[in-house]
Amino acid sequence: MKRRVATVLLATALTVAGCGVSATPPPSISLGPAIVRPAGAEEVTAPPQAPVADCDVEASLRPGTQPPPGDMPPESTMAKIQERGRLIVGVDQNTFMSGFRDPATGELAGFDIDLAREIAQKIFGDPDKIVLQVVDAGQRESALKSGQVDLIVRTFSITCARKENVDFSTVYLYAKQRILVPKKSRIDSAASLSGKRVCAVTGTTSLIRLYELKPKPNLIEVPSWTDCLVMLQQAQVDAISTDDVVLLGLAKQDPSLRVVGDSLGIEPYGVGVAKGKEDLVRFVNGVLAQMRADGTWERLYSTWYSSLGPSPGPPEPRYQD
Amino acid sequence: MVTIADPPRVLDAHASRVWLRRFARTTAGVVVLVAIIVSTTCVVGGLACGAALNARITEQRAVLENTEPFAYAAQNLYAALSAADAAAATAFLSGGTQTPLTRARYQQALAAAASALADATAGSPDMATRQALAGISAKLATYTGLVEAARANNVQGFPIGSAYLREASTLMQTSLLPAAAKVFTDDLARVDEAQREVGKPPVVGLLLLGLAVIAIVVGSVILFRRTNRQFNVGLVVAAVVVIAAIGWVVVATRFAAADIEHSRVDGTGKIGQLAEARILAQQARTDETLQLITRGDITASEKAYFGYIDDLTARLGTGSPAATAAVDSWVAGHRRQVAAYAEDYPAAVAQALSTERGGSAAQFAVVESSLREDIEATRETLREGVADAGGYLAWTPTGTLVLAVIAAAAVVVGLWPRLKEFL
Repeated sequence: MKRRVATVLLATALTVAGCGVSATPPPSISLGPAIVRPAGAEEVTAPPQAPVADCDVEASLRPGTQPPPGDMPPESTMAKIQERGRLIVGVDQNTFMSGFRDPATGELAGFDIDLAREIAQKIFGDPDKIVLQVVDAGQRESALKSGQVDLIVRTFSITCARKENVDFSTVYLYAKQRILVPKKSRIDSAASLSGKRVCAVTGTTSLIRLYELKPKPNLIEVPSWTDCLVMLQQAQVDAISTDDVVLLGLAKQDPSLRVVGDSLGIEPYGVGVAKGKEDLVRFVNGVLAQMRADGTWERLYSTWYSSLGPSPGPPEPRYQD
Repeated sequence: MVTIADPPRVLDAHASRVWLRRFARTTAGVVVLVAIIVSTTCVVGGLACGAALNARITEQRAVLENTEPFAYAAQNLYAALSAADAAAATAFLSGGTQTPLTRARYQQALAAAASALADATAGSPDMATRQALAGISAKLATYTGLVEAARANNVQGFPIGSAYLREASTLMQTSLLPAAAKVFTDDLARVDEAQREVGKPPVVGLLLLGLAVIAIVVGSVILFRRTNRQFNVGLVVAAVVVIAAIGWVVVATRFAAADIEHSRVDGTGKIGQLAEARILAQQARTDETLQLITRGDITASEKAYFGYIDDLTARLGTGSPAATAAVDSWVAGHRRQVAAYAEDYPAAVAQALSTERGGSAAQFAVVESSLREDIEATRETLREGVADAGGYLAWTPTGTLVLAVIAAAAVVVGLWPRLKEFL
């Protein structure tokens, strides 16, 4: 009995002597997974654009007689460009097949780029007298307004809202808005987008149309279409919806994706020109008319968009005067 | 049992207290009291002073062995991370496929970042810093994944490669680099704080030693009145020894404080400035390459670039002529790049990436290396100042303690003959 008491006392004494070192382990740190999103990715909560009264979307100015390259009529907008020595065009560098940067060469290429070069060719007689400036989709109208660029050739859909701020050429391509999803996805139509996360680019008509869907999917906007593809590959969105020519370019970069669904709407592409430069609009329309007539349009289509199917032929121009 | 034993003990204590009081009124009692009080204040003062000085030496060692190397590692981490990002962007601009040289540079930067991360983590002073470093570690793994995804896509000619690279660069610029910069500035503040601690004089210990001197004077006066002898040799020796100890401590801490001040102003403070300059240079370089990658309107990007450069030259002041000269030729190179940008994009890219003389990449490398050398040199100033301060303080704790004990012993030895007269 006494020994047991002694043992207990000894044990207590030892425990007290060892105080300061606690049996509870020191706290360890813990982190959540590092989630990364492309710069500028945002949830869309407010309507992208106010609705505008209807207008004749596709009508543009009738071309006059085309001046020969290198001999623009004096005082015209084209003459000023000729004097400057270069045509400045706002383009895209992230949309495969339309306007993209070829990583191997660092050069810009695509249908829109070739079209822009064609216009430079008709002004100077040299397709290389051109400055290609990359413009984000959301900055297309402001780049024209500020005079930063002469033209915008960048999958630019003609709409009544945009026509209030800038002028457009005649339609050079019809695109259909469709949906890009992983092959295993169950999404197959606009209706099945309900409750899904859908990606689109800020300031595009695709985003406006998605916002108007009932019920509205969860929309995420990013600065460029490749950012949407990154988010789709990183499983941060379920689908991308925009024009078929753009989706085609995205699908080519990832064989696990496919384009599904009926057309959500037709997008007429035009060349954007700043307001008040009627001579330049007529000139660009003249260039487009020549391209339709001499087979240049067909050549560009088969170079860049042949995988969309057989060429539908160049869009018929509609002139308002 | 306990209750029975208590009253006699109380009685006992009471009796001894009465005896003590009576004894204290006798001259012998006064001598004993003076001896006890004076020698005790000497020893306590010596102990307090020694302990305070010892704490300063411990702090000084911690600065040299831990806090400063950790800040250095954090600064290296920042530099290595931004070097990795610059290498990735360069590889992208010079055509998607990396050359063996750019690949090697990227991998070297990653290895440097991993080493700095290990050093920094080992010296990490608290949970928050460890958490921040773990975050950097996790995100660095994600970052390299994104860079490889970009590379794989670039090889196939897919524009999505540039989207992956943009995502990687955004992660680096908005998350990894700010986190590394914060770890560094926090730790530099800790170095500064620790340096201040080392340079502080041990005020309480000195006051206690001063009290010991007063006790010696008062004791001498009391003894003079009681015994009519003018000086007690023991007390005089004790006073001299204590005053010597005070003098030593004051002089040593003053010298140490001067070294620390030099180390703080010309070391810590300047490293802060140089590190900020290095960060600004990296940001300007990122801006310069990013405007070629974005290839849009460069007005805003130009404004940001020259903002960084202005801040950079302000930070450099007149202290780093080599770096300032390099910044000037870098800016000249940048102007050539901007001039070529609109008319001849490939020439602008070539100017930005050229490692030949006059190329922006070459000039930036000179800025970066001269800043790095300045930081290394300043680091030496910092560490030498702290080490020198330690040299002045090294023997002070032992010294003050020994002197205090000698003073106490002198008091006892000196008063013993007086006490003996009554025995």
